[in-house]
Amino acid sequence: MRARLLFLLPLFSGLTATAGGFDSGPQGARVLGLGGASTAYIGSIAGLSVNPGLLGQWGDSLTRLSFGGFGQVRRSSFIGQDTYRRTDQDLAVLPGGYFYATRAVSKRVSVGLALTSPYGYHTKWPDNWEGRSVIQESQLNTYFAQPTVAFKLNDNFSAGVGFVYAFGKYSQRRALGQYDDANASYRLSSSGSGYGVNLGLYGRSGDNLAFGISYRSGVKLKMNNGTISTTGVPTRDGALYPESAGFKTQINLPSSLSVGLADRITKNLLLTFDFTLTGWSTLDSLKLDVAASGAAPAQRLSTARRYEDALAFRVGAEYQASPKLTLLGGLNYDESPIRDEYINPEFIDANRIGASAGVSYQLTPRFALEAAYAFSYGQQRLARANPLNPTVSNIGGSYRTATNTASIGLAVAF
Amino acid sequence: MKNFCLNTWSRTGLAAVAALALNACAPGQDAPTPTVGTINVSRYLAVGDSYTAGLSAGGLTLASQQYSYPNLLAQQLQGAQPGATFSQPLLAAGAGTGYFDLAGFSTLGFPRTRRVPGPAVRRQVINPAACGGADTVRLFTRTDAPNNLPQNLGVPGLRLAQLNVANLGNETSATPTGAFNPYFERILPANDSRTYLRVVTDAAASATFFTYFLGLDDLMPYVRSGGQCGTAPNSTLTNQLRTNAKTLLDVLTAGGRPGIIASLPDLNTLPLLRTGRGFSLQKRLQDSYHDNALLYIEDPFGSGVGQPITNDDYVLATTLPRIGQLTPVVVGGSTLMLPYGRDERNPLRDADVMDYDEMNRVSGVLSSYNNELNRLARDVYKMPSLNTSPLPYLLDTSGVMPGYVGESISVGGVQYSAEPVRGNFFSLDYYSLTPRGNALLANAFISALNRAYNAKIPAIDTNSLPSVAQ
Repeated sequence: MRARLLFLLPLFSGLTATAGGFDSGPQGARVLGLGGASTAYIGSIAGLSVNPGLLGQWGDSLTRLSFGGFGQVRRSSFIGQDTYRRTDQDLAVLPGGYFYATRAVSKRVSVGLALTSPYGYHTKWPDNWEGRSVIQESQLNTYFAQPTVAFKLNDNFSAGVGFVYAFGKYSQRRALGQYDDANASYRLSSSGSGYGVNLGLYGRSGDNLAFGISYRSGVKLKMNNGTISTTGVPTRDGALYPESAGFKTQINLPSSLSVGLADRITKNLLLTFDFTLTGWSTLDSLKLDVAASGAAPAQRLSTARRYEDALAFRVGAEYQASPKLTLLGGLNYDESPIRDEYINPEFIDANRIGASAGVSYQLTPRFALEAAYAFSYGQQRLARANPLNPTVSNIGGSYRTATNTASIGLAVAF
Repeated sequence: MKNFCLNTWSRTGLAAVAALALNACAPGQDAPTPTVGTINVSRYLAVGDSYTAGLSAGGLTLASQQYSYPNLLAQQLQGAQPGATFSQPLLAAGAGTGYFDLAGFSTLGFPRTRRVPGPAVRRQVINPAACGGADTVRLFTRTDAPNNLPQNLGVPGLRLAQLNVANLGNETSATPTGAFNPYFERILPANDSRTYLRVVTDAAASATFFTYFLGLDDLMPYVRSGGQCGTAPNSTLTNQLRTNAKTLLDVLTAGGRPGIIASLPDLNTLPLLRTGRGFSLQKRLQDSYHDNALLYIEDPFGSGVGQPITNDDYVLATTLPRIGQLTPVVVGGSTLMLPYGRDERNPLRDADVMDYDEMNRVSGVLSSYNNELNRLARDVYKMPSLNTSPLPYLLDTSGVMPGYVGESISVGGVQYSAEPVRGNFFSLDYYSLTPRGNALLANAFISALNRAYNAKIPAIDTNSLPSVAQ
């Protein structure tokens, strides 16, 4: 089975699609340690947010909880195409957390709840960097709540369905470099919510091999309460940049389709494999429908994104080192959904290769402490600015990105 | 720190954990080391007219000189070759010619300017019979070190046609009708009879690198006066410009001295003309007056009858605020108050318009001159170049001007256009550059230099410069 998968690897990495993007990574310390290959992994109930079909496998008499937090630091460096000047992003930690609970309500039916923060980024450039009029700081945070129900079809198969309620916050800040006032700036912030659905299937053939397949629909975050504010604009341009204005926008979070396998190689060693296709192409552009304000008429501001669907390949290993100690490791390759022509310093992404390591320690029969760390490193990306296309506000140069994620949590069963 | 971050990838495991502990530093990249490539820029010589001198918003002041494109370029050269020097004939703080300041906008959105006068000058000479009204020539304080020629030999108002005029910078020529340039005078010792060519020859002796951007001021007096004043553009002027360019460039390129030759921009990219282009101006006026009135210009044959404007006629930007104002016109013996330019009986005066014929004349000279610069660059001087670009060290300045291809250009997230004030490129005289415009021009020189001489001279972060010089 493994040999067959390895054969598939070059095939899939040749596609121009991937996961990447502003996915904040696996939502749980143990699955983070596993490199996120958790579509067919029942070692942690954190798999619930990836594949609701797994929920049927926790249909015994125990109530399970898993919760914790993570922090992600994604930093890029930039070298100006013509200025040769290097700028590093400021340190900004994207905080995240997760909470899972599962419980069987009958022999065949289990229910669960997943609270996660699956997408987000926090980009912060120095205020006076070359691209300050493109972006200084941008932040997206999302929170998903997913009540889930699963049915055990027989001893080996289970299917689940979850309803996703999502809430997101988006903010952005940039300099208005056309004015001499260095503090002239443009800010926007908004928040909103959306809905989605998550379906999954889990199956087992014998004791050693399991598979999972799941689909999570895209979520359209409708943000109707946005506000734009500007400072430092000369009065002559008050109609171009009103001091404040309302706007509406929508941020499309992608769908994802995952296929996974888990193979118990020996009594102590489990290997997992995942392919995930993420439907980033729904993120075509960022459109702000700005309401009229004072002398400024209503207008639509559109910034092209043109994301592409993206594929990720992940491998994880779980090794039972002792009855209390489990070691985890993972490798992953994430393609970026961002095309070369649309690289924007607001959010830098690249095809990334990553590794992770984690540990789970059984403190008592009921409590397990879990911790993991993941690192990924992106290819160099070259952004070519086209001065004649003012609709793609951009700056030319090369970017390098690295991501560090650490997570710690507790798993409880009682 | 940087290397450590680079190595984290090859050593994932422990090193990656350590990287997190070290605040997760950003991944390293090596910035290219600035170099001047195959040339030596230790002594750069700038030859040119108003643009090169750093004229901005109709005035030359200490600040505007410091934002001249040669000075901005020289600063970048120094970053690539430490120890490179550059000197300018700086005016004293507060001295200078005065300049235009933004007073507001007319109801139609055209900027209104006011003249901020300069301080008292050494002497002034008035020519009451000058074309277009009395003209005053002001003599400025001489530079501190008149015996050392500055490396910026940009002289406002200098005409290439005057290349061989002796005593152009001698105070004795400062008579109402004499050939005299006060800006040239102030960089020379007293009673110096040298021609501009001689001065350039003297300064070039120690120069290792040059830029040449000359010829625009030969055409501007004609353009600025709506075709009424200045040397009439004809084949005599064309030949004179072509011959003098070769004479001067022979001196500059002597001994294989490297440099960049800039050709002239298309005149209708300058806001002085572009803002008032026939049909777009007519449309703009109709939109703001909510009527369908046509715009009329004087018939070029002098019959006094108005004719509708065409899209090849350009109304001078300086005239725009006056269009539509009621002025007295004598019609059939009685005086009527009619809107200027918007009534057939009150057409725009010839002096306020560069009409189709005048434009043709002036652009004929310009393109012939540019062709000669192209030829000289390609066939005559053939400076060493390391790339395949056919004209590696010729800079086509039209490409630098916003509005040449599209309405605006985007630089680091900021839009630049040919519109004065908001466009941030051209200054309030509708012709010369703002500090940012100078930086974009300097960046064009830098990229031409980098291409031609395999150099890596860093470009200027244009948006960090002010949008007005004064």
